[in-house]
Amino acid sequence: MSTIAPEKYKENASKNIADPVLQKALSGLQERLGPATENLYNSLPEGHKMRTEAHQFRRKAIDNLDVLLSTLVDKVRGHGGIVHFAKTAEEAVEICKKIALDNDVKTVVKGKSMVTEEVGLNLALEKEGIEVYETDLGEYILQLSGEAPTHIVAPAIHKTRREVAELFTEKLGTPYTEDPPILTRYARKALREKFLKADMGISGCNLACAETGHIVTVSNEGNIRMSTTLPKIHVAFMGMERIVANLEEQQSILRLMSMGAAAQEIGGYVSYVGGPAEVDHGDGPQEFHLIIIDNGRSKILADPEFREMLCCIRCGACLNVCPVYGKIGGQAYGSPYCGPVGAVVTPLLFGINNSADLCAGETLCGACKQACPLEINLPRMLLALRSKLSEGDPDWDVQPKSKGENLIFASWQRFNSNRKVYDLLLGLMRVLQHLLPAKQGMISRLPWPLSGWTANRNMKKLAPKTFMQQWREKKEKKGS
Amino acid sequence: MTTQKEFIQDISTALGRPTPVSVDVFTVAPTTAEQDILKAVRQRSSGERQPFIKTLQEVSVPLHLDFHPERSLEDIRQAIITLILEKDPEWGTKKSVVRWDHPLLNSLNLEAAAELKDIPLYITNHVAATSSADDLQAQRQQTRKEVEASFIGITSADYCIAATATLAMKTRPGQARSVSLVPSIHVAVVEESRLLATLKELYTLLKWDEAEQAEGLTNNLSLISGPSKTGDIELVMVHGAHGPRELHLFVVSDHR
Repeated sequence: MSTIAPEKYKENASKNIADPVLQKALSGLQERLGPATENLYNSLPEGHKMRTEAHQFRRKAIDNLDVLLSTLVDKVRGHGGIVHFAKTAEEAVEICKKIALDNDVKTVVKGKSMVTEEVGLNLALEKEGIEVYETDLGEYILQLSGEAPTHIVAPAIHKTRREVAELFTEKLGTPYTEDPPILTRYARKALREKFLKADMGISGCNLACAETGHIVTVSNEGNIRMSTTLPKIHVAFMGMERIVANLEEQQSILRLMSMGAAAQEIGGYVSYVGGPAEVDHGDGPQEFHLIIIDNGRSKILADPEFREMLCCIRCGACLNVCPVYGKIGGQAYGSPYCGPVGAVVTPLLFGINNSADLCAGETLCGACKQACPLEINLPRMLLALRSKLSEGDPDWDVQPKSKGENLIFASWQRFNSNRKVYDLLLGLMRVLQHLLPAKQGMISRLPWPLSGWTANRNMKKLAPKTFMQQWREKKEKKGS
Repeated sequence: MTTQKEFIQDISTALGRPTPVSVDVFTVAPTTAEQDILKAVRQRSSGERQPFIKTLQEVSVPLHLDFHPERSLEDIRQAIITLILEKDPEWGTKKSVVRWDHPLLNSLNLEAAAELKDIPLYITNHVAATSSADDLQAQRQQTRKEVEASFIGITSADYCIAATATLAMKTRPGQARSVSLVPSIHVAVVEESRLLATLKELYTLLKWDEAEQAEGLTNNLSLISGPSKTGDIELVMVHGAHGPRELHLFVVSDHR
């Protein structure tokens, strides 16, 4: 379960950097998934233009979200589904709770869904005495251990097989083994019982198709199919932006999403759900509820600078290449949305000031944009967020981060634009730097107010001669 | 409670327009490229489909899918009987098998196999939509019981995509979706004429083919590529997370 606490970013990041098990897991994950996804992009039969086009499909959907959602809703109702609208997280939770209570639901099985994490659904249902089971193996492990996810697609990647073995022995009473296939079988058995007795299944929605009126879920484990086939009620939570106009556009986006998420040509199970089971069909849920959630998304939609973010399909590809995520892990972000995508979405959904460190923590290296199947420009939006933090923005309720910092940068700018002053300061620094504590030729501690810079890293000393000086000397030598 | 009107209105406002405007986002006619795909699929001969068999063999390996070489109905029948006899049930010791009510599966006539006389073979029955609520409910309960009890589920598929070994299955009366999901082993028998090259061909058919358009996607369309799998413990690939642990695929050569 994830709690929303982005303000603990620095504290959590430091802790995670010092955790050797996590470091190994993160680098293993990035080494495997990052290049594998890139290989798939490079071998696309449609070529690179497929990604550019897919971005345009998503953008078109977002730019016409009112039309697409209206169409989806009409079609789903036509299929016998019930559609609900939730402006806020609280409202979404209330709607689901009411469906559960009205139907005397005792046990809920859940397919992996980020938006239910965002709205805090599990806790609310558990408060009503309803048993809620996460059924994605990774999510189930975390539910048993009471931890937050490390990765969007591989949530429990930080758990070693040994930890899982101990956890299962303690919580499920299964014999101790460190063999992943046997551990998986234990979870399969434990959850099979829940699937069979559950009276409500909850799923997310990876991407709805407006023209046909279906939501689409993707999984490899089959847990989402189980959750949406066996219980008599299926409730789907859908962030309002998860929609595309038509089937042909959806085809390319689903394929790209599978490549980004798990380096697959297509996810193992792709399910189109348009409504409850027809009456003369032998199985499937008898009620289908679709809850469409805003919870801050229309505000993102209204801001041209950030609208692009709604194109994101949460595949997690950006996590698998990000140098910052690769060190600090998902839990540091204090949000269901971690990594580069989280560094943009979390501030926009849960407050920019609260999440200031998330925006500042990324390096702007651009790896995320390259890895994104839809080439979403995350670095541009990170910069825009930083600019809001620096200048303040009443529209987004942003207080300028630090007046002192602005002052320092303003004076820095003035010194820098005057060559004489700049050279003078440079000369002075070159002398003074020898007074600072150093390690292996690097400055290990700067005095206040710059000490924060060297808290986690050493600083390179200034070279004895500037580039300009070296250039001049070289030229003179040649000339002589 | 937020109404649809309020909710959509907020989105229109955020988009800077007073109400949803009618825009051309839904395509109404196939592109030339899509027309070419439709034509290619419809005119494809059995010989032109043979390379798909080889592709299926290749992509099955990394997917951990058991693609069987048998092509005639009689050989496939025998191979399935052998699977039923040789495989062990995952939960408990009693064996039973469930299958769709589907013409191709009916023609396998597994029910007549003397070797299987001690193993119950269930068929997910049709129920008339006009039946009473009690009868419908009773039928659902029976299907549920049979599917839960069975260790092998046998289905056909609307299409099978060579490039990704994807089975596309709509739901229809007599073709319960849980048959391909709940039993530990899923056996799929597909006619060769249902083979397609790529997902793009599948989507083009689903979108533009008149018969597909008339039926729609149905309320549940599943695309299944290989058995259930997970890598959630240390990224070690394990098959059989929640869905079937094994997926056996048979392609029937044109038998008519």
